[in-house]
Order: sequence, then C-alpha cells, then structure tokens
Amino acid sequence: MLILAFDTTAAACSVALWRDGIVLQSASAVMEQGQAEALMPMIETVMATANTPYTALDRIAVTIGPGSFTGVRVGLSAARGIAMAADKPVIGVTSLEVLAYAVPDSELPNGPGILVAVDARRGDFFLQKFKADRTPAGEITSLLPEAVAAWAGAGPWIIAGDGAVTIAPVIHARVSTASPRPDTTALAALAAVRVPQIGGPLPLYIHAPSVTMPS
Amino acid sequence: MLVLGIETSCDETAAALVEGDGKVLAEVVLSQVAEHRPFGGIVPEIAARSHMAHLDSLIAQVMGDAGVAFKDLTAVAATAGPGLIGGVIVGVMTAKAIAVVHKIPFIAVNHLEGHALTAHFSNGVAFPYLLLLVSGGHCQLLAVEGVGRYRRLGTTIDDAAGEAFDKVAKMIGLGYPGGPALARAAEKGDPKRFPFPRPMKGKPGCDFSFSGLKTAVRMTVEDMGALSDIDVADVAASFQAAIVDAICDRVRRAVEIFPEGRTLVASGGVAANTALREGLTNTCTKAGFAFVAPPVALCTDNAVMIAWAGLARAQKGISDPLDFKPRPRWPLDPTAAPARGAGVKA
Repeated sequence: MLILAFDTTAAACSVALWRDGIVLQSASAVMEQGQAEALMPMIETVMATANTPYTALDRIAVTIGPGSFTGVRVGLSAARGIAMAADKPVIGVTSLEVLAYAVPDSELPNGPGILVAVDARRGDFFLQKFKADRTPAGEITSLLPEAVAAWAGAGPWIIAGDGAVTIAPVIHARVSTASPRPDTTALAALAAVRVPQIGGPLPLYIHAPSVTMPS
Repeated sequence: MLVLGIETSCDETAAALVEGDGKVLAEVVLSQVAEHRPFGGIVPEIAARSHMAHLDSLIAQVMGDAGVAFKDLTAVAATAGPGLIGGVIVGVMTAKAIAVVHKIPFIAVNHLEGHALTAHFSNGVAFPYLLLLVSGGHCQLLAVEGVGRYRRLGTTIDDAAGEAFDKVAKMIGLGYPGGPALARAAEKGDPKRFPFPRPMKGKPGCDFSFSGLKTAVRMTVEDMGALSDIDVADVAASFQAAIVDAICDRVRRAVEIFPEGRTLVASGGVAANTALREGLTNTCTKAGFAFVAPPVALCTDNAVMIAWAGLARAQKGISDPLDFKPRPRWPLDPTAAPARGAGVKA
C-alpha cells in the first residue's frame, strides 16, 4: 500500500512517502510557523524525487490534531484537497496516537504504559493515556501541569510528545527518545490499517474557539 | 480555459468555475452569518473552522454542477489575502493541493482585485475606470487602469464604511449583521431629523473617515435614552444620509483627479445599499460619468470574482509559487502609503 503521509500540527512540517513499512522518501523541517508555505513544496519534492504521480497513491494520511489550530487546518485542507483532486481516500489519525505509536518497545515500562503530552500553547497540555499495545486507555483531556499528577495516577509512565519534558517531572515519568513531534512513518503505518470514513476525517481541536472580536 | 475560484477570506465560503470568455459555469456561496450572529461580529476562529468544514464539499458541488473533472481545469485561483488569515490558509492550501495533483498553475488572488475586476467581467466595463470599493473591511477609491494596475486615490483613515453601518446598527439595537437592517429601518425614517456630520466633506484628496460620524451618532443615541421605533428609523435614515453624502463628496473629488476614468464602478457589500446607489448615480450624472454597480450577488463576497481575477492573470501567463505565503494585509496599490488607524482596511 502506497501512502503519502504528512503532519503540520506541531512545531514542524514533515512529509513521508511510505510503501508497506518502507519509507521511499521523506522530508522534515522544524518550524514554529510557516507550514502553509513549506508543506506543498515539500510534498512536491518528495513525490518528484520518488518519481511518483499522485494517481499512484492508495491513500493520503494526515494528523488531525490536537495541536496548533492553524497547523491542523494547513495539513487537513492540503490532505482533503489532494484526496479530492486525485480521487483517493484520506485517513486522519490523532497526533497523540502517532506520538504513542512511535515510542520504541524497549522503552515500555512495567506499569500502566504510555502517556502523551502535547503543548496546547495556552498554559495547558493535551494528554492521553495509551496501553502497551498503543491503543488509547482513555479520552483526550487538556490540563494545566499542576493537575496532571492527580489525573495520571500511579506510574511508572513513559512520556512522549512536545509537552513531555514539562510534564515528566510532575509525574516522575521517563521521557521517550521518540521524536517529540508526530513522526510521519508512524502516521503512515497507523493509516495503512484504518478503514476510510465516508466524508473524510474532521479536525480535532479539543478546545472551543476563543471568542475575541476582530478590531 | 477553465478556472476554479475559491474564496475563504471572511465569513463566506465560496467556490466557482468560469470559462475563458468569463462565462460562469457554476458557483456556490455559503454564508456563516448564523454562526457569528450570537457574538455580534465575525469571530476569526469560528470563521476558520467553518471554512475548513465546508470548502471541499462546495468545490465538489460546483464541479458536479458544471459537469467537469479536476483534470479539465486550466488553473486554480484562491483568495490569498487580505483577510482573516485562518480562513485564507484553508482556501490557499486547498487550491495548492488541487494544483499539484493536476500540475496546473496556482494563482494567489488579492481579494480586492476580485472586487476591482468584477464590473469588467460582469458589465463589460472597459479600462480605465474609477472604482469605489465599499465593504465591511474596506473603503477605497482606486483608478483601475488594467489587470494588475491599480492606483489608490483615497482610503479610509479609520473605519470601513460597512463597519460604520454595523456599529451604528448595534447602537440602535438592530442586531448583526447590521448594514441591511439599518437600510430597512432607514426607509421609514426622516433623514433630516439629526444633522450628523459629513466627515472629510470639502477637504482636499479622496480619503474617508467615519469615526467622527459614528461618535456623533453614539452621543445622540445616549442622550435620547430609550429609543422608539420612530427614533430608530430617524437615526438610521439620518446616519445613512450622512454617510452617503460623505462618500459622494469623496467620489466628486476622485472624478476631478481621475477624469479619464469615465465610469464609476461601485463594488463591495455596501455597494448593495440602495441609498448609496442613488447618491452615486446622481453624483455621476452631474460629473458626466457613467455609473455601474454589478449585481448585488457579485458585490458581496463570492468566488466568481476570484475565478475571474484568476482567469485574467492566467491569460497574462501569471501564476504563483507553491510556497506563496497567505497575506493578512495586502494593499492593491503597493506604492500607496499606509493610512494610520485603518490597518488592513487601507
């Protein structure tokens, strides 16, 4: 199965062209913003280097959030646009699932499992617990750091995500060596085994819009 | 030629398809007014989410209505600014995505160029012409000398005209969006009851200002306390008369500065206002100018004008790179000095 996977939900822009567990081409750049400019040339370079037309793809994979609201929309609108124009299915995967999937087996603790923390950039963090098999052990929540210990309960935990370094001391967790931002190889692997949904994936914001009037 | 146009810069999500001769094959506009009404104004994050939720299905709809496939497109054009950046990004990314799949040009359209060129396509107005762009986000007078050739003659130095309509409507309890409601209320009112100021009237140049007028209305309304229906109608009519008078005075100046324009075109949402159309018609008649206002559906935000602007640029061989950065602020005339206090409206 040939999958074009990309992520712009965190402070990076990442693209991979993946076939049955093998990355054919990939590119990634760390950036706080600018994904709306960087993503499409990066996709074009990956596809052109692999000499692959979009019509050859079996599916598009994209992270749907949670993360930066703008980043979520950059990736998802690109994914839905490519999918629509090439008449291919698009699979959405949460950024937290991708981060949990990328944690190496060797790091799994003898305890409840994996905890993923993504900086929500409002002082709080998007959090979710995962079992050792990488399936969610609960819903996604958003909490301030001081509330995380009570929510997490007894460890030990391995923690991943761009909020891991901040949250780890609060719950005495070890920080995973996996990328703190969603890895497109993990994204493609997860998307390969999902069933496409009618109507395509929707963005996952978690937070309601902040209502501020335009000036 | 076949151009897909996409518009997501404010509170309307829209898609349209036009052919090489400008013929509109299909179009759709989805208004978000109901989503913003509870907040009394446009909430940027709500707008961005709504564009994300609806844009691709609207594009699929116009493609289906016109009976064409993505591979048939010559170019894809999207509003790339100015506007609320969260929404603009959704339209731009979708357009870039369609462009890469079918290896067709991506065209980043200035939303204001869409408004500026509308009458050229809808009413066949020849270049050059004088453009009055009046909307909730802008108030400008421009010399339109050709595709990509715009000279700003004047701009608001504070509020946009539509913004003044909306704010006054709010003061007199007419809800959101207030412009059309204010115009309806004004129909039954006395435009001479309150002698509101005509800002900038008689001053040199073509700049606009509406904040003094807005303040005068606020003070009048506050002095009156509870407003009867007649009071509301009279304030609305008096305000509308003042703003129309002020705009027409600026147009008279622009006609003197740019006599070769020969035709005045009014575009933008406020150009749908009947009293303004009457005022501009009279002003143009006296000045020996023709007056053209495109159909109302093409004055308010739409994707047909974006597809037309894209078509005009495609025909000149102009396209944009895939790393084009969406622009919250994007003056149509890059040489014009920014107007203090007007922000993106200049």
